[in-house]
Amino acid sequence: MTEYTISLQAYAKAVLHCAKYPWATVHGLFLAEKKDGKVRMVDAIPLAHNWTQLTPMFDVALQQAQVYAKTKGWSIGGYYVAYEDTETTQLSASGTLLARAVSAGSEGVVAFVIDAKKLGPGSAQPGLVPYLNVDSQWKEQSGAFSGAKSKGGAATFVLENNRVLASTLKLVAERADIGIHDFDEHLDDVTLDWLQNNALSERIRTA
Amino acid sequence: MLKRSVSQAGDDAWLVYEQIILAALDEGQIDLAKSVLFILDTRFKDSQRVKRLSGLVMEALGHTDEAQTLYTEMLEKDATNVLASKRLIALLKSQGQIPLAIRELVTYLDTHGNDFEAWLELSHLYLSQHLYPQAAFCLEEVILQQPANHYFHLHYAELQYTMGNLDVALKEYLRVVELSTDNVRGFYGVKLTADRLMTESKKGKSSGNKKDQQSNRMDNVPQQATLERLSELATERLVSVYNRASDTSKKTAEKWLKE
Repeated sequence: MTEYTISLQAYAKAVLHCAKYPWATVHGLFLAEKKDGKVRMVDAIPLAHNWTQLTPMFDVALQQAQVYAKTKGWSIGGYYVAYEDTETTQLSASGTLLARAVSAGSEGVVAFVIDAKKLGPGSAQPGLVPYLNVDSQWKEQSGAFSGAKSKGGAATFVLENNRVLASTLKLVAERADIGIHDFDEHLDDVTLDWLQNNALSERIRTA
Repeated sequence: MLKRSVSQAGDDAWLVYEQIILAALDEGQIDLAKSVLFILDTRFKDSQRVKRLSGLVMEALGHTDEAQTLYTEMLEKDATNVLASKRLIALLKSQGQIPLAIRELVTYLDTHGNDFEAWLELSHLYLSQHLYPQAAFCLEEVILQQPANHYFHLHYAELQYTMGNLDVALKEYLRVVELSTDNVRGFYGVKLTADRLMTESKKGKSSGNKKDQQSNRMDNVPQQATLERLSELATERLVSVYNRASDTSKKTAEKWLKE
């Protein structure tokens, strides 16, 4: 059974990506560090907020992200998506295809749908619904992050510590989302660092 | 203050009232919108334009069924009423009733086929339902009406790539870079499609397998030599653009370009 830990960097960046484009579907990748059978999502790479169903730039970004991950001794551990329609937490047909594309290059990739309803100050849990690839089907791990074993007992999901949610809310309130740049933005201005978002990483570290 | 400036506006006052209603609705000041609407309704009895505004107020209040009835009635009286059509479509879309919204928009386009923004909207609705060929058809209409706009060629190229039509995607990406200068998305697209076309035709040739050769059903694939030169051109332009980039992105992009 695999234990997945989500770091503040990964969670905050994914949420800030959503906060920057609240009217759109946004998606991105999680970078994973694997040690002793445990998987830690150490960072997030935001990809797009426009034409998210169209695949060419996704292919380019994924390939480049894989090159980058290798240089740090990491792998692509996850695909996250937040839908324009905030009511749904179901991984869509195109989301399934994209998650599968990510899986082609790495083992044990987890797909996460962001649950907008759990992003507010009242929520005690992260707004992430994980999907694991079981027998070529992406199965929702309901009840993940609740402390109990997820359905099927295939995996456990935890946040890095109990300050992740509060820190993330603080960053959103401070409009730190202005500092996140995804691959879409990079294509319009190549001087923007979409892979590391260094300045933002620093801000998150000190949040 | 409002009254004074409005009386100075004379007949333009009515336009100002309309704008006030729209602004008030945007700001959530529904009571203000309603009072101004009353003024317009008094002056212009039975006006389609005023009716549409009252429909907007209903929508803002969440009375979507009433609004829908109103717009449908307006369309029954006059099927070509642009204001009512557009509001009905927007309403259906906001309720998540995409198939119905598509149906109404198709009806609208039957009469107003030169509204390229409507074709674009329909394309997005089809895309949300994963109806890629239909979405492509709509984008083709947009391009027919706006052939010099590289953005639409780009959108079309990306959709064709997603559909697996690499030959069409390549052609459209080339159009994009023709119509704009050093378009990064465009050149990435050229390189991506040219490289994939080269790989796939090599696969088709080396395997004597008839199935593989048949699966290369694309009609307009350029020759290998042309594909290579296109890939090199794209690489060269991208390297030149990336000279301005930050370290990490630049190093990673250059690694990718060399592969």
